[in-house]
Amino acid sequence: MSPAAPDALRPAAVSGLLWTLVRTDFKTRYQPTIGGFVWALLKPFTMFVVLMAVFSFIFGGDPTYRYHLIIGLFLWDFFAEATKTGLVALQVKGYLLNKVKFPGWVFVVTSASNALVTLAVFCAAITVFLASAGRAPGAAALGLFLLYLAHYAVIVVGFSLAASVLFLRYRDLNQVWGVAIQAGFFVAPIIYPLSIIPERFHFLLYLWPPTPIIQFSRAVLVDGAIPTAKAHALLTLETLVILGAGILVFRAFAPRVAEYL
Amino acid sequence: MAVLEVRGVSKTFRIPDAHRDTVRAHALALFRPRRFRDLRVLDAVSLELGKGETLGIMGRNGSGKSTLLKIIAGIYAPEHGEVHRHAAITPILELGLGWNPELDAVDNVYLIGAVMGFTLSEIRAAMGEILAFAEVEAFANLKLHHYSTGMAARLAYAVAFHTVREVLVLDEVFAVGDVGFVARCQQRYRELSAAGHAILLVSHDRRTVSQFCHRALLLEGGRIVMNDAPEKVCDEYFRLLTAGR
Repeated sequence: MSPAAPDALRPAAVSGLLWTLVRTDFKTRYQPTIGGFVWALLKPFTMFVVLMAVFSFIFGGDPTYRYHLIIGLFLWDFFAEATKTGLVALQVKGYLLNKVKFPGWVFVVTSASNALVTLAVFCAAITVFLASAGRAPGAAALGLFLLYLAHYAVIVVGFSLAASVLFLRYRDLNQVWGVAIQAGFFVAPIIYPLSIIPERFHFLLYLWPPTPIIQFSRAVLVDGAIPTAKAHALLTLETLVILGAGILVFRAFAPRVAEYL
Repeated sequence: MAVLEVRGVSKTFRIPDAHRDTVRAHALALFRPRRFRDLRVLDAVSLELGKGETLGIMGRNGSGKSTLLKIIAGIYAPEHGEVHRHAAITPILELGLGWNPELDAVDNVYLIGAVMGFTLSEIRAAMGEILAFAEVEAFANLKLHHYSTGMAARLAYAVAFHTVREVLVLDEVFAVGDVGFVARCQQRYRELSAAGHAILLVSHDRRTVSQFCHRALLLEGGRIVMNDAPEKVCDEYFRLLTAGR
């Protein structure tokens, strides 16, 4: 092989690297079987069937409840899976970071890639589900939905940057986050409509990142309403704060990552 | 011209009197502060590696060799001092490269090759040679967790020898494989040296150091205590070993 440029990756090498990381992560996770991938879809869908059967007795009066529920569940599942994977992103790549000089943030960012693949399938599933119910979303609604998902991905990356370096120092952080995720499922208005919570608490619920993403997505996809410009600005601000905090924590701890592997 | 300069590099690890690496442990011992003991692993180490030069590093276990190599490779950050890399470095540390045991040999070679900065077509072109050099062609699609330690180490050397950038940093080279594999490593190693690659070589083996190195350093207690001809450094190293018994 011909030598590469000192300490700088060539564009062809970068694209090859990203592809290899995504491909091998996918292979390790799903053991190249369709079954593994179908399982990722099956989990939130099973939840949907069970929750729909139980909660339709309580919220059955709302004809859009089922659409709200499936959007909430799919978006939640992406958040839960992607953050859990992002948290251990550096630890699982320890075998490389301990042997070669390499910017660890690349591993963190690519760790979200498989969750993004799943999210893309979720999006298709949501769209098909809505279309089959005669509620096919328009181009503007889909455009806004994709914008929210881009925010969502940035939020996950911001969280993962901070969590992945902290996990190397606090080895039970994944268990702590597991508990937070369990509680967070009920903090986000997934199985209940936000309207049943007194309005003065809404701001607090919106601080939990999945809440605005789920609510805004439901608004454009199901309710045909577009959140206000101020609401969009606040979502972008929240996203940037999380990303900024993640970068700061990562930069503070990253130089000594290999010593904790 | 130096391809690598290490200037006054020091490294201290802070060793706590109580091991706490969980949120739970920290929370339970919130009001019991830990005491730390400083363990100085490297103390103002300076060295230069010239273009085409092979430099041997000898030293007893715990003398700081592995930490020095990790700092040179950019994996650890030095506490004091600077490392100037004027050329790209291919490190092969602690008898291996990073392998993912859940992937087969081919995917692992793609992964490590890509991380080292090679394009997919370059890796594809070298794949046959790498697998043949490591004698694992028949096991190319076998997951690495089925490999023996020797097979994995042979594959590591094969990748390192075929993905050499300007400088090769080797920890305990030729420590694996049978006579035939070692002979091929030595042959490949001579070719790399003849082609002008600079090599930094850590070894406990007198023959390796005296046969392949132009110059050698002796590390003791984190300091360079000798910088001389390989034979003289080997003599001093073995004198230290026997004196330490």
